[in-house]
This record gives sequence, C-alpha cells and structure tokens, in this order.
Amino acid sequence: MKLEIGRIHIKDIQFGDSTFVEDGVLTVDKAGLIASLKEDERIKDVQVDIARPGEKVRIIPVKDVIEPRVKVEGTGAGFPGVTSKTTQCGQGRTHVLYGAAVVTVGDIVGFQEGVIDMWGEGAKWTPFSKTYNVTVDIQVVEGLEVHTHEETVRLAGLRAAEFIGQAGKEVEPDEVLTYELGGMFEETAKYPNLPKVLYVEMMITQGLLHDTYIYGVNAQTILPSVMHPNEELDNAVISGNCVAACDKITTYQHQNNSVILDLYAQHGKELNFTGVIMVPEHTTLSGKLRVADYTVKLAKMLGADGVIVSEEGYGNPDSDLLMICKKLEDAKIKTVLITDECAGRDGLSQPLADTAAEAVAVVSTGNVSHVVTLPPAEKVIGNPESIAVLAGGWKGAVLEDGTMMCELNAVIGATSEIGYHNVTCRLY
Amino acid sequence: MREMIITNNPLVVEKYSERVLFIDGSVEQVLIKVRDMVHRKHGLISHPLPASLRVLFSPYRSVIIGRNNGDINPLQVEIVENSILKYKKHMDVREVDKENNEDYQMIDLTLLESALKDEQVNSMLSGY
Repeated sequence: MKLEIGRIHIKDIQFGDSTFVEDGVLTVDKAGLIASLKEDERIKDVQVDIARPGEKVRIIPVKDVIEPRVKVEGTGAGFPGVTSKTTQCGQGRTHVLYGAAVVTVGDIVGFQEGVIDMWGEGAKWTPFSKTYNVTVDIQVVEGLEVHTHEETVRLAGLRAAEFIGQAGKEVEPDEVLTYELGGMFEETAKYPNLPKVLYVEMMITQGLLHDTYIYGVNAQTILPSVMHPNEELDNAVISGNCVAACDKITTYQHQNNSVILDLYAQHGKELNFTGVIMVPEHTTLSGKLRVADYTVKLAKMLGADGVIVSEEGYGNPDSDLLMICKKLEDAKIKTVLITDECAGRDGLSQPLADTAAEAVAVVSTGNVSHVVTLPPAEKVIGNPESIAVLAGGWKGAVLEDGTMMCELNAVIGATSEIGYHNVTCRLY
Repeated sequence: MREMIITNNPLVVEKYSERVLFIDGSVEQVLIKVRDMVHRKHGLISHPLPASLRVLFSPYRSVIIGRNNGDINPLQVEIVENSILKYKKHMDVREVDKENNEDYQMIDLTLLESALKDEQVNSMLSGY
C-alpha cells in the first residue's frame, strides 16, 4: 500500500467569500461553512472563529481537533464510512492543509474540560497552540438525546474539516511525503535480518464520550484488528472521546500518529514495521483479558519480535496495558510501553494504577498531575463557564486577577500517549 | 442472582433496582464495599476506576460484582486495592466535583451499561 501526503504549508488564515489557499494563506468562506454544517437539522446554531498562534485566545471546552484534507487521487475520500461511503483509504494521494486545524467546541456535559491556550504558558503545553485553528462551536436543537448530541458535534467537526480541506485540491503541495509498506512476507523477504516490530494502539472504547471509531465502526464492538498504518494516516480512525483532555488521541493525532511516523522512519533501517493492531479498552475485566489474549495471539501469528504499545487514558486502561505487556513478554516478545504518568503534583507517586514486573521498558510522556498557571485570556472561544470547571477542583485555584492554576490533565494533548505533543526529556 | 451493581448513583438504583446494592455515601465507600466483596470471594466484573482523571472526580461510581466463586482471585484483589489507593491519592488534593451531579450520574449509568452489555455477551458464551 502506497500513500502520498502532499503538504500545503499554511502560514495564515482569514475569512472571505470563498475557500481557497493562495501563497500559504488559507481563506475560509465562513457563511458557506456555516450553511453547509446547518444542513444537519440537529444543529441549531454554529459559531465559526479563528485562533492564531500567539493571540491571547483561550478555546474551551475543546471536543476534537481535526486536520483539513482532501483526497486528490485514489479511493478513500473524506472520512470513509462516516462522512462518505466506505472505500479503501491509505493509498493514492491526499493533500493536507499543513499547519491548519479545525477545533470543535461545545458542551455536551457540564464537566467537560479541554483547553487550548494560543499564547503564553498554556501554549507551551499543547501542540494545537501552533496550528492556525478554525474553531467550530456547535449548538444543537433542544431536546436532543445526549448520544445524538455527541454524534452531531463529532460529525460537524469532520464535515468542517472536509469543507475546508477542499481548498487544497488544486494546489501544488510544498512537499510530498511517501508512506509505502508491502505485504508482511514481502517486507520480511526484503529485510530478513531486521526485527519485526508491531504497533499495538489502545483506544478508549467505553461508551458515551469515551469512544473511538474505525471506518465508522464503534471500536467498542471489535476484537483487536490488524490495520495497515496508512489507513490511520489517511482518516480511517476518528475520536469520539471528550474526556481525558491531556491524553485522549484527537482525530488530528490519529491522522498524524507519531508512533506510526517514527516506525516508518526506521523501517528497513533498524526494524521491519509489520503493522498496527487496534485494541479496544473495555471496562470489564473479562473484556480486558479477552483483548489481551487476542492481541498476543495476533502478535504471535504475525511473527513479531517486538511490540510497541501505546495507551489511551488513565485508570482502568492501565490494567489492559500491563496485562498486554505481561502476556507479550511471557510469549518472549520484547515489549515497550508508552504511557503518561499520574504521579501526583510532586511527581513522586506511583505513576500508574497497576504495576507488572514485566514492564521493563516504559516511555513516559509526562505527568498529568503537574500544575500549570494560566493567565487570563483576552478572548475566550466557547464557554467561559467551563473555566470554572477546569479550575474547580481545589480551593485557591483562581487568583484575584483571573490567573488560574490547573493540572496538565485539562490541557488538550499535553501528555499525548502516542507522543504527538510538546513534552520531552532532556539530559543534564 | 449472577451479578450485582454496587453503586451510590440514584439513577442506577432507579433503573436496576433489583440488582443494586445501594451505598448511601461516597465513591470511596463504594470502592471499599467492592473490596470487601472481592475479599469475600465475589468476582470483580468491572474495573473500579474510570478511564480518565476527570471522571475520577465524579461523585458517583457503579461497579459490577459477580457471584461468590468460592475462591479469592488474587489479581482482582490487587486491582481493587490499587484502585482504592489511587483514588485516595488523587482525592487528597482534589474535591469531588458536585457542580455537575446530573451529568455525572448519566455518564456513570451509560458506562455501566456498556459493561453490562459486554457481560451479557460473555455470559451467553460461557453458558450461564
């Protein structure tokens, strides 16, 4: 399977009468976008705004972030199985408005959080302070059942990204990246001496506000499934997750999954990238055991020498992570885990809710309990009342001048467990 | 009765009254009751913790407990004990979010129902 990603570098964004890119400036037809979204009769009102890097703007509560794209060659247009009919994605050519993002905002429940600060201290912690963001704030019609409400906002974000992505259709990209991986036997014949490495990607799949979709299929209903990495890079995986702001995988992060990109970079050099297994995280212990056994079986069938496992969320998914690790190591498959830590404000507590002696290679993507101080914003996009939710966890979190303290937990993508974020390690 | 829901969520009590052991108290008290049941050889069907910190601040929690297995399951004991330690550690520096009680009740119910659905599939497969 061969996928070309043509990146059109976006350097600024503005509203206009039509949607197009010229000299790196993305112009968005605001009225056209709103009219297109309102074709969904469940949507009562839409506010569309722009947030640029450096502006004293706070976006809250963020639901999802999506990269605007368009398919220019081959099948798999849009988000297959969701905004368009199901066709095979992961091949052909896709143009990306690189540096732009659609950010959906909207209260579905009162305790939602998820903040993006475009400037200052907050901007340091979220990767989406560096993107030129079109914010889409959705109000739905009254009386909508909560699952339908969530679906409406989720689909609106995807449709907005598709609408804006069309601007890249006729534009010559600034760079073209090629991702090509043949069948497993083919690649192994090419690189017989390199270790076969699989990527196991865990997804939150536990019900309302805690879901992930693959080709539109709710991943709660699947057994662990083998995927070609190109499919995820080409819109097959969608986030329906509105909790765990710091470590949920937004749709944007699925589209740009750092683990996949890094494994691709080492393919044929240090390792043989054998594929991706998508693994649902259940709430029941029997579900967790079933998934762990099934994943290890697939890894064995595919002849993996090594596996990299990334988690999504914190708490009960820690059990899945360590069960999978233990069973893989027992099967003599070397295993590396990627997870964030919930290690208390001083970083000294036990980082996960579970432990296993077999977890000997663990990459930490940051401490979600780390406290950050965010100055007041000049402009808030979304619901200013959500700021109280954000800071409402303990006394003294909001100072007189409006400065507030919150944990990284509330900042979108701050401790991304697939490594698409700003935190890194430094040697002293 | 094969399984029982230990909960402090009134919405769950309303909907599943025949299968509920209601705890008129905090999430911590729910977790402690779950731990006691696991020590008394009941199976732990659903994980005591949610999947995110935000839901950890919820005032409501429902956990599914199975029948008496006749044996203590050490893995399950470890999971429930660790869950309580982890919960207390977080709540030492946080307050339960009481501003959004109704939403937390609704989310707790929907997450519980996901688990119940999964269990039904399993019980069909294992023949009871």
